[in-house]
Amino acid sequence: MAELPVTEAELIDRFGPHLNVEPAGGWNAGIDFDREVETHCCFCGQQCGIKLKVKDDKVVGFEPWYDFPFNEGKLCPKGVKRYLQNESPDRLLDPMVRDPGAPGGFRAVSWDEALDRTVSEIQRIQQAYGKDAFALLSGVSLSNEKSYLIGKFARLGLQTANLDYNGRLCMVSAGAAGKRALGLDRAANPWSDIPLADVVMLVGCNVAECAPITTSYVWRARDRGAKLVVIDPRVTPIARTADLFLGVRPGTDSAVLGAMLHVIIENDWVDHEFVAAHTVGFDEVAQSVADHTPEWAAKLSGVPAERIVEAARLWGTSATGMLMHARGIEHHTKGVDNVTACINLGLATGKYGKPGCGVTTITGQGNGQGGREQGHKCDQLPGNRDITNPEHRAYIASVWQCAVDEIPGKGLTAQEIMNAIHDGEIKGLLSICFNPLVSLPETRFTEEALDRLEFYAAIDFFLSESAQHADVVLAGSLHEEDEGTATSSEGRVCKLNAAKAPPGNAWLDWEIVLDLARRLGRERYFPFRNTREMFDEMRVASHGGTADYYGITWEQIEAQHGVFWPCPEIGHPGTPRLFEGGRFYHPDGKAKFFPAPYRPSAEEVDDEYPIWLTTGRVISQYLSGTQTRRIGPLVEQYPEPLCEMHPRLAEQLGVVTGDVVRVTSRRGSMDLPARVVETIRPDTVFIPYHWPGRQAANQLTQRALDPISKIPEFKVSAVRIERTGEHREVHDKRVTTLHEERR
Amino acid sequence: MSSSTAATTRASASRRDRVDVRATAIGLVAVGVVLVGVYLGSGGLRWFDAALAGYLVGVLLAVFATVYRYLVWLQRPPTACLNRRGWQAFRARGRRGRNAVGLVGEVGTNLLAQGFIRRRSTTRWAAHQLVFWGCLLAAAVTFPLTFGWVHFRSVGQDGSHYRAYLFGVGSGTFDATSVVGFTIFHLLNIAAVLVIAGVAVFLYRRLRDPGALAVERSGDFLALAGLFAVSITGMFLTASSMWLDGQYYSFLNNLHALTVILGLLYIPFGKLFHIFQRPANIGVHFYKSAGAEGPQQQCRRCGEPFASALQIGDLEAVLPQLGFDYGDGAGGNYQETCPRCRRNLVTLAQSARVGGFG
Amino acid sequence: MTVTSPLSAHLVSDQVFVIDQSRCIGCEACVQACEECGTHRGTSLIHLEFVDRTTSTQTAPQVCMHCQDPTCAEVCPADAIKQNEDGVVQSSLKPRCIGCSNCVLACPFGVPKYFALPDQMMKCDMCYDRSSAGLKPMCASVCPSQALWFGTPEEFAATRRGELLFEFRFGNQVVPTKVATVVDRADDGPLDVLGDPGGFRWQDDPFGLAGVV
Repeated sequence: MAELPVTEAELIDRFGPHLNVEPAGGWNAGIDFDREVETHCCFCGQQCGIKLKVKDDKVVGFEPWYDFPFNEGKLCPKGVKRYLQNESPDRLLDPMVRDPGAPGGFRAVSWDEALDRTVSEIQRIQQAYGKDAFALLSGVSLSNEKSYLIGKFARLGLQTANLDYNGRLCMVSAGAAGKRALGLDRAANPWSDIPLADVVMLVGCNVAECAPITTSYVWRARDRGAKLVVIDPRVTPIARTADLFLGVRPGTDSAVLGAMLHVIIENDWVDHEFVAAHTVGFDEVAQSVADHTPEWAAKLSGVPAERIVEAARLWGTSATGMLMHARGIEHHTKGVDNVTACINLGLATGKYGKPGCGVTTITGQGNGQGGREQGHKCDQLPGNRDITNPEHRAYIASVWQCAVDEIPGKGLTAQEIMNAIHDGEIKGLLSICFNPLVSLPETRFTEEALDRLEFYAAIDFFLSESAQHADVVLAGSLHEEDEGTATSSEGRVCKLNAAKAPPGNAWLDWEIVLDLARRLGRERYFPFRNTREMFDEMRVASHGGTADYYGITWEQIEAQHGVFWPCPEIGHPGTPRLFEGGRFYHPDGKAKFFPAPYRPSAEEVDDEYPIWLTTGRVISQYLSGTQTRRIGPLVEQYPEPLCEMHPRLAEQLGVVTGDVVRVTSRRGSMDLPARVVETIRPDTVFIPYHWPGRQAANQLTQRALDPISKIPEFKVSAVRIERTGEHREVHDKRVTTLHEERR
Repeated sequence: MSSSTAATTRASASRRDRVDVRATAIGLVAVGVVLVGVYLGSGGLRWFDAALAGYLVGVLLAVFATVYRYLVWLQRPPTACLNRRGWQAFRARGRRGRNAVGLVGEVGTNLLAQGFIRRRSTTRWAAHQLVFWGCLLAAAVTFPLTFGWVHFRSVGQDGSHYRAYLFGVGSGTFDATSVVGFTIFHLLNIAAVLVIAGVAVFLYRRLRDPGALAVERSGDFLALAGLFAVSITGMFLTASSMWLDGQYYSFLNNLHALTVILGLLYIPFGKLFHIFQRPANIGVHFYKSAGAEGPQQQCRRCGEPFASALQIGDLEAVLPQLGFDYGDGAGGNYQETCPRCRRNLVTLAQSARVGGFG
Repeated sequence: MTVTSPLSAHLVSDQVFVIDQSRCIGCEACVQACEECGTHRGTSLIHLEFVDRTTSTQTAPQVCMHCQDPTCAEVCPADAIKQNEDGVVQSSLKPRCIGCSNCVLACPFGVPKYFALPDQMMKCDMCYDRSSAGLKPMCASVCPSQALWFGTPEEFAATRRGELLFEFRFGNQVVPTKVATVVDRADDGPLDVLGDPGGFRWQDDPFGLAGVV
């Protein structure tokens, strides 16, 4: 019973997205303000420092925070306009229940009514179908404290195994590969190592648009004379000036990376000393790439063999080097293999644990790094502990003061939870900070699944497209309305400070969760009065785990502008660079090579669907767009998805920029304007994914998962494309007219 | 950093330092015209109030300086060009009727109602309107009084009734204690209140806004200070005569006269000179319509029309007079490249000079 | 032309604004931040455009170069554009600007913007509220690639590649500026804007398509 209560148009009319275009009070209100709050941007894993200006309990602007060392005042457009989310007209001010008779399909109710209803449905479903029939889907826009609370709430409040989070769509492939090979899941280096590298290799990471501030670190390396190598199907803005560009066909990264290792071994650029002293399994991996010749990889990937050789030479012969990867190689059914292939390159050449050396992922989500460590991942307990490991369970049970048996076992991953909902095995859902209708693959399937739920409650600050299907909506809090900590892509734990209180009847997220726990009769496990108390319990819970936060205090974070975990003791300065001295986090202290030979993607092109589709992001939008599609200046920057295609393909299709094309896969189809550019492979098209409904790129993607990380294969689909005959002017703010008229 | 290319960079013109004989002459003529007007309008100085002679001197100096500066301004090549083009467009055959009607509308909406300011900010507009109408009102009262064109005479013995005379022609009598009389005698106070209110809004806005404050020029505050000083000292005079039995009146009178005379002298040199420049905006509108109706300049690089050929032609004529040479050395002129292509060209040229990273 | 402003006396004059167009990633952080500047709230004055999106992601960012002898100010019929003693060319004086667009059309860098509703020109003033108080301008503060950069020449020499160049040639006209661009060798003379850039691209054939049909 969770289909839309009223038409989509009515929902949009009442709940948006409506655009907030100006600071509260308008541009002419003057720029005097009551105070500046030092906090962080919520719109990606880099956690740039920013000062929010507050006046009359409204967030009215920002000021660069020059003293914060990571970004020194720099911000991308999302950071600049981040302050506009707070006064959005769409902000949910009351808890609501679904009511097809009410305007917009939802009726404001008291907290008692909303929470009682939620709890009674949880209890009804769990009594009828078992505890695990009620799932919790969470998100890593949440702080560490809230992530910790959600993990504990799922296990001890809801008592369900089926908790997972939208980090499953982010960097789980990197996390899984890192844990497997290195014993730890964290960026290997602080970003300050990038400028020390002689070669910077960016593999499937659109740094300029998805981690913009990292661009300045790359340039600092180039200012020292470093070479930049980019592996990507598109000439992204950072790739434009690269010294070496490998325009790889989607899904063939492991062929290219394997061929590079092949060349490195062949030319004996291997750091034998390092391999012998600090690793195991090299020979097996060498064997696995013996047939990965550059010529073979060139045929598969479309990258000229000599460029593969040159990339291998640069990486293999440089004294220092940083290899950074992101969703481009991780969103695959072989995401873990791809990351492993990168790690193998780093281990084989000894590029770990030294200044300017490392192989690292760039975590995308706001607290993607920290969120996954605090135990709201289906297979993990706090401190990156393994939920199936008896010792780990026993330790957490001692911290939580519960019986070990009370902690459920390993649950389903995010996509598997949606599959189980679709199959009718999971009947109830609570979601927070997760908009699966936009972010999961195969939109139609997700919508069907949501409609099959017997009960769905969503904690949200705006009515996301998924929450539109909810029976109860619990008005929660925005990032700048609560305090706590978040851990950046670097592994730097940062302090978030509250700029204001939640408006209207909205509650802080954790107040909602605590109240649910109380009504479920489980308050004995949730004695928290504030986020500081959660942080302190979390520190203890993480102690002894690989992600050890025990020594970190809020005061230390603020004093030294962030603390890098692991930080096992009070007074410990933190650990910016991992693996120093070649010490890895497996019991034997050694890193493990794993073979990652090339294998095909889940779907390959054929006569019926002859074109590769890869999806991704644009700089002005964040994730499913729940927040950024409400910020006018960001929407103006890139208002709708465009289908990027090469002139050669466009010519075959008879398409020019602005022609609306129909892109069809085995899962669905969508119409959108084409943008004809030479910066993409001729056999591949690109569509950004931030939009819902008919504009959702995920209508086309598939639910094929990596066997280890269970990440969906967003980056490779087979599609066919035809003209619709319609033509639209492609809006591009970056083309200005002579006499601009803005207002 | 520029020594090697000094020949091609623009040499500063020195013409501004010379005294302009023509402007001096016309300025003196203007002073003469005012003097003749005073003589004739005051019945051969019969109605001229000698106590106001200081103000008259101030007016004469201001007239001379304003005319002088206006004429010098009009000789600057771009101003001269616009002045010529504006009138040409205004007088163009077949458009005179339409233009005359348009002119009336422009004066109303643009110069009097100042809608262009309202579109920037309503409070800014309100403040400007208060100062504008306050000053106009004050000028409408003081100039005729100073020139002896208007004077008042007491009627009857009780001193409560007056008759106003314009150029010696009398109006009906009025009671100074009536609403009409009170208003007439307090016109300057009303003007002062308007101006002070406007100045207060301006100041409040500026002092609260660090952005506006940063680009503030000393002249901006001087103008506000001057308007405030003239207004407040004028009101002191009323206060003195009404509530202090004329105490300090003489001192205050001198003080007020001083502020007014300094204020008058400030007009041609300071921020208030925009009063005389702003009407050129109407000429611009005629110039722009004439340009829009004529041929358009196509960009030499992208081929898109981007401005009127009239204006680009004028710039190509004016720039050399200012010492600039944007000729491309091949018979073309860089001014015929659209602004967007100019920006792109700069970027492309820079890229070529940082060729080959790494 | 130079007008003394007591408020600008404390400008940190040893800091220089540098624009290295080649590093621009087109993110528009500068465009978004520009309108947050106190001197022109709500109006973005920086320019940022694709040079030719069909062939490249290259973008052209353009702030005011603050010419030593500003063409815009010289062609202004209303004396509305002033240059401070520190060399910063200000936006038009609102009471004076008559909206003729002479400056928009004459500026060799294509910087001033005409706004129809207030019927006036506005242009980049290097965030005078910030730079006159020793703070970085908004765009140079936020720029993720630091294509827009603000600091001392010594800092630049210590941390960045390339040399600062303060002169541009447009045909016969050489224009010295307060804002610098970056070139490999400044000794090679002013940046020749009308010179043939030779169709220069970093990635000539990114996908190895030459000869492949």
